[in-house]
Amino acid sequence: MANYPIHENPTRDEWAAKIDRLTTLKDASKAIKDFRKDNTSPFRKNYDLDIDYLFIECKLEEKLADMKGQHMKDDDLLTKTADGECPEEISNAWIAKMKSAKDKFVAEKVLIEFRQTYKPPVMPVNAFLRADATLGSLLMEVRNTDYYGTTLGELRKQRGVRVVHLQDGLATA
Amino acid sequence: MALSAATTAATEALKVNRAPTGVNPQEVHRWMQSFNWDFAKNRTKYPTKYHMANDTKEQFKIIAKEYARMEAIKDERQFGTLLDGLSRLGAGNRMHPKWGETMKVASNFLEVGEYNAIAAAAMLWDSATASEQKNGYLAQVMDEIRHTHQCAFINHFYSKHYHDPAGHNDARRTRAIGPLWKGMKRVFADGFISGDAVECSVNLQLVGEACFTNPLIVAVTEWASANGDEITPSVFLSIETDELRHMANGYQTVVSIAHDPASSKYLNTDLNNAFWTQQKYFTPVLGMLFEYGSKYKVEPWVKTWNRWVYEDWGGIWIGRLGKFGVQSPPSLKDAKQDAYWAHHDLFLLAYALWPTGFFRLALPDEEEMQWFEANYPGWYDHYGKILNEWRALGCEDPSSKFIPIQWLEKNGHKVYVDRVSQVPFCPSLAKSTNTLRIHEYNNQLHSFSDDWGERMWLTEPERYECQSVFEQYAGREISEVVVEGHGVRADGKTLIGQPHVRGDKLWTVEDLRAAGCVFSDPLRN
Repeated sequence: MANYPIHENPTRDEWAAKIDRLTTLKDASKAIKDFRKDNTSPFRKNYDLDIDYLFIECKLEEKLADMKGQHMKDDDLLTKTADGECPEEISNAWIAKMKSAKDKFVAEKVLIEFRQTYKPPVMPVNAFLRADATLGSLLMEVRNTDYYGTTLGELRKQRGVRVVHLQDGLATA
Repeated sequence: MALSAATTAATEALKVNRAPTGVNPQEVHRWMQSFNWDFAKNRTKYPTKYHMANDTKEQFKIIAKEYARMEAIKDERQFGTLLDGLSRLGAGNRMHPKWGETMKVASNFLEVGEYNAIAAAAMLWDSATASEQKNGYLAQVMDEIRHTHQCAFINHFYSKHYHDPAGHNDARRTRAIGPLWKGMKRVFADGFISGDAVECSVNLQLVGEACFTNPLIVAVTEWASANGDEITPSVFLSIETDELRHMANGYQTVVSIAHDPASSKYLNTDLNNAFWTQQKYFTPVLGMLFEYGSKYKVEPWVKTWNRWVYEDWGGIWIGRLGKFGVQSPPSLKDAKQDAYWAHHDLFLLAYALWPTGFFRLALPDEEEMQWFEANYPGWYDHYGKILNEWRALGCEDPSSKFIPIQWLEKNGHKVYVDRVSQVPFCPSLAKSTNTLRIHEYNNQLHSFSDDWGERMWLTEPERYECQSVFEQYAGREISEVVVEGHGVRADGKTLIGQPHVRGDKLWTVEDLRAAGCVFSDPLRN
């Protein structure tokens, strides 16, 4: 980790400047989606921003929400995404994708990707929460069935972790 | 003046449902039941894999006028006692200072729990479809607001009356640096309000309230009294009178899902995970606060734990839910082992990291050491000798420039943080069930301390991404971190945390800096 203070540091300053330079809804929406894919969730591209990513994501959200207020009509704030899409159609497509997931590992990626792409303010919160609750419920059903049916060793393999250390006496399989 | 739409709607509703003319509780209750929610459009915004029944009853039979009257009387008694009688008696300064420090932790942390319980009960209100069940949850929301105020008031009272208010007055400002905060948020925040709504109910009502409020809110009053504290029992017992109804809400949550055969696929798993989540933090932390944060001991923590957690909750309370297919959690037997040693393990680490706290810790004196050895045979050879060595090295004295975490590092005792519970552990010194396992996933290293937690992470890794303090501050000198994390008193130099409860020899930022202690991440070194 970087050896500098948490609340005021060069990384946050650098991102604040980048965010200031966003001038269109399209760019701001793309920036937040890219940022979330690169820096959030256990599947992120790297952990370089582990200390700062929540702060930066929050600043991107503020910027996009502010720009939506400036550039979108009042009615559209509740009925369209930042990119002008129909939330209901998007939600239905992602719910169908979740229902067709062949196992829990595919299903969890569906939910995480949905959140990285559409978490507010990209999608209006009224539509997002409905879709997220449905997707979350479906994922939990799949994840929590036969919860103890797999040994820890097998589960580690399924998850794809590299076991670095197991204290003496612990079973490896 | 034009009437608002809401006022008009309320007026119209009253025309249909005439208000009771008397104050008969049952009449008021029936009247309140006639106000309903529109189930046809009720779709909660919270996910759940369970299906709550539409006809579930609630066990709160006293709401509206009776509820408000009851709570008002309780508040009058409690606040009246505190503001008048106990103030005149100087009660705020009559407890043993070790206990005064313990209450900095207990009341601040419980306040966080109560605050999150407001949201948790509201989430359950949103998730339930039965009118009566909603009523039960809604009344709990009001209770939790009251409890949040009560816990805050304890801190307010102590801030004014206790001789050392630092830590009572603004504990939360140190939340980024104190290793105990993150685990507390895992049980008191995440556990109550994230994930499946019913799982949250299991965490909050079935485990947190039915199991751990007994040691946390009831047993704590016995320890408080024994150590001269009359304030805590006055408030905490008033809180506990509401908890019974919250336990009943947890019971009704289970009743409401029992009709659906699919529930049996998930309920015992959720219960086991909730129990392990809650006990993983509360078992060591409560034991540590009681036994190491007091001068006068009530009974060994392991006995309190066995009575309230193992027998009363694991046996009797869960037994009553057996008819709905609920079983005692399989992790209970591992927790029982932890009840014996885990709090001693934790004290060692908490004391080693004392500058990061918002409260003062003190080493046990000779008499206390004898008590520990008598009640936990083998304690002295394992823990007592280390504590005495730290004392001999001058850990209490600022001129020693010695922080015990340095001793742990020098002697090869690495301190890890469990990714799931966020509870610190030292595998080479632990006598509890902790066993280290380290995994690399997507180029990130994660440490775990038990099978149950590891399985939770392997199943749902996105829920457990919290960084440990060692990851957060790796490579940074400890006094810098403490200053940045607001761990300094109002004079700008004296630390809030101290390794003793004396009035003199207080450590300052300069003393801490002179120790030359640097955070290191055990996963990287």
